[in-house]
Amino acid sequence: MSDHEPEYSGRRKFIRVATLGASAACGIFPLASGLPALLDPIKKEGKKGDDRWSKVASLASLPNDGAPVKFEVIQEKVVDAWTTYKDVPVGAVYLTRKANDVVAFNLKCPHLGCVIDYRKQSNDYCCPCHNSSFGLDGSITTQNSPSPRPMDTMETKVEDGFVWIRFQHFRPNIPEKIPLT
Amino acid sequence: MKFIFDWLDDRSGYRNLLHEVLYEKVPGGARWRYVWGSCLTFAFFTQVVTGTLLWMFYSPSAQTAWESVYFLQYQVWGGWFLRGVHHYMAQAMIVLLVLHLMQVVIDGAYRAPRELNFWFGALMMGVTLALSLTGYLLPWDQKGYWATAVATNLMAEVPWVGPALQKVVVGGVEYGHHTLTRFFALHAGVLPAMLVGLVVVHIYLFRKHGIHVKEPRPKKDSYFWPDQILKDAIACLAILLAVVGLTLYFRGAPLGPPADPANEFPARPEWYFLFLFQLLKYVPAFWGAVIIPAFLGLWIFMQPFIGTTKSGHQLNIGFWWSLIAGSVALTLMAFSEDRENLRHTAAIEEANWQAERVLSIVDEQGIPPAGAVTLLRNDRENRARNLFASHCSSCHRYNGHDGRGYPVDDVQSAPELAGFASVDWVTRLLTHKHYVSEEYFGGTAFKNGTMARKVLAKYTPEETDLLPQIARLLSDQADLPYQEALDDEEHEELMALFYNDDADFQDGLACIDCHDIDSEGDGYAPDLTGYGSNEWTVAFIQNPEDARFYGEDNDRMPCYAKDAKLSDEEIQILSDWIRSKPAE
Repeated sequence: MSDHEPEYSGRRKFIRVATLGASAACGIFPLASGLPALLDPIKKEGKKGDDRWSKVASLASLPNDGAPVKFEVIQEKVVDAWTTYKDVPVGAVYLTRKANDVVAFNLKCPHLGCVIDYRKQSNDYCCPCHNSSFGLDGSITTQNSPSPRPMDTMETKVEDGFVWIRFQHFRPNIPEKIPLT
Repeated sequence: MKFIFDWLDDRSGYRNLLHEVLYEKVPGGARWRYVWGSCLTFAFFTQVVTGTLLWMFYSPSAQTAWESVYFLQYQVWGGWFLRGVHHYMAQAMIVLLVLHLMQVVIDGAYRAPRELNFWFGALMMGVTLALSLTGYLLPWDQKGYWATAVATNLMAEVPWVGPALQKVVVGGVEYGHHTLTRFFALHAGVLPAMLVGLVVVHIYLFRKHGIHVKEPRPKKDSYFWPDQILKDAIACLAILLAVVGLTLYFRGAPLGPPADPANEFPARPEWYFLFLFQLLKYVPAFWGAVIIPAFLGLWIFMQPFIGTTKSGHQLNIGFWWSLIAGSVALTLMAFSEDRENLRHTAAIEEANWQAERVLSIVDEQGIPPAGAVTLLRNDRENRARNLFASHCSSCHRYNGHDGRGYPVDDVQSAPELAGFASVDWVTRLLTHKHYVSEEYFGGTAFKNGTMARKVLAKYTPEETDLLPQIARLLSDQADLPYQEALDDEEHEELMALFYNDDADFQDGLACIDCHDIDSEGDGYAPDLTGYGSNEWTVAFIQNPEDARFYGEDNDRMPCYAKDAKLSDEEIQILSDWIRSKPAE
């Protein structure tokens, strides 16, 4: 008996290890087969560059006194997973005019993405969710502001009397302005 | 670590449960014949996990189902693999079901006291088949669409409630959004939940009665862990490898062209339902939908009672073997008949062409909100092939078929048009034996016309050798996208031949004596100015009876624009397509 014991034990051990191994492989396989697909969004990056310029409004439609006006941003081509849309609104901006320059603010609060309102009475911006408020230049005006940074501006240009912007969203709730890709 | 497990065990008693699960006695030792139940559980587990992952990508509507599956298959990292595993594991499940069933039948494990478990097993088989049927439609491609149409029409055969049942399952009279939402709810919700419930009861009953031992017992008793589990795991690994192998070999599951009720497709179910499909060629649909399932249900119910005697058991085994043999024979017959059916083969090739075509259009244009099917419907090449098949192919041919690859039953009575106006095509046209053959004008009055009898038939071998030169000149008029144009010098030389300036054609007759080529209005035969060009081809299709073409000599060629048979746009599409590529 004692002569056979080690061999027997070794065989039993091998069977146990092999069974555990094979069972683990079978158990992990279904999830593993879909893991790349599941993680696909991390691998994919959004579009970058000048292809995202959108024509938003005519310069003449902006008041000279710098009062902000809200406009939809319509992009010529938007690809949402499998569907390609043409000329669809992708968001909105406040535009304010300074002589022949235009400043564009994203409507989304840099805090957690609620939509910022313009308050005509106090002539400033306010986020109705957590009460962050911003001056007309987008700067933070609340003490202990929930928003960690001023309102997000975007690149603008004026061509042939029309205002173009490079519409972008940014990572919320951090002091730095980092575009989402 | 031990403290945590002890804490957990104190509160859950998991060690006892685990012991109960793993240390089930296996009388006569572990055997390969017991692996099928575990394999089926593994397959179902794989389907639940991969199905849940697929759920994250799938969108059930008539405009998004195919599109979301396309996106997963071609745009998502490893999406094709995930889909392939789900697809081939579903097929493996069917094979495993049959193996498990036959093991139970042969071993007599359906007999008392295990009748109830046998019936539950049969119910699980039905649910699994329903899962296959509902899953087949979800990609919303031609194959799934048309096959499901047949399956749901069978439902209407059920007495009294059939039509209402069909409406409930389809979500209305027509197939559309609600068909998909309902099939998806069944496939991903109702049926898997039922199967989970049935598996629990099945395993409970299995444990209650223990393994039915096939005598003689080969070894002494052992336990489920690790001996039987090792065998089970090895069998599961083999299935896993087979599924991965199939997925890699076929590069995932197939995806046909998007479903289109206006685009016919030969409806065929998946291979495991082919026997039923074939059977319906010989028996009324009522048999397939009601009599056969009812008979099977009754037999399954009676089987434990029939099998109480040795002869009854043998009868049960014979019944299932006969059923399997009959199904295999019917399946082989279905495959063989399809392989020999030229129209079916052509339909499959056409569907493959459409599937590739829609992918290339999607790459170019993306998918509009109206769905990918609109890309195919609006695709000029696809429209041209269909227009040719509908309006031209009863007389003409394109590479010997109807433009889409289907053989044509009617006798060819007008020219083959693949490579129309190319140098090769015109060269053959000008050769007497081809001119009077079915390939060109053999089926028309022109077979005995002046050109055939008095011109082409009378050329000497030396003159016949000059005809390819004339063909080059004529073909140059067509300005075909795949041919190089003549240079000016060559053109001049060939025009001289057309005019027979050097009396190369010995009878003194020149082409120009009958055919105009430079818009000067000479000749009574068809005007060859701009022959085969877009303008010439469109004008010819519009009205071949125009004095510029056949005039009163026109032989049955319809005046498509004059008689409003085709719109100007459709004629332009046909002209573009006919002139777009050389013959195969």
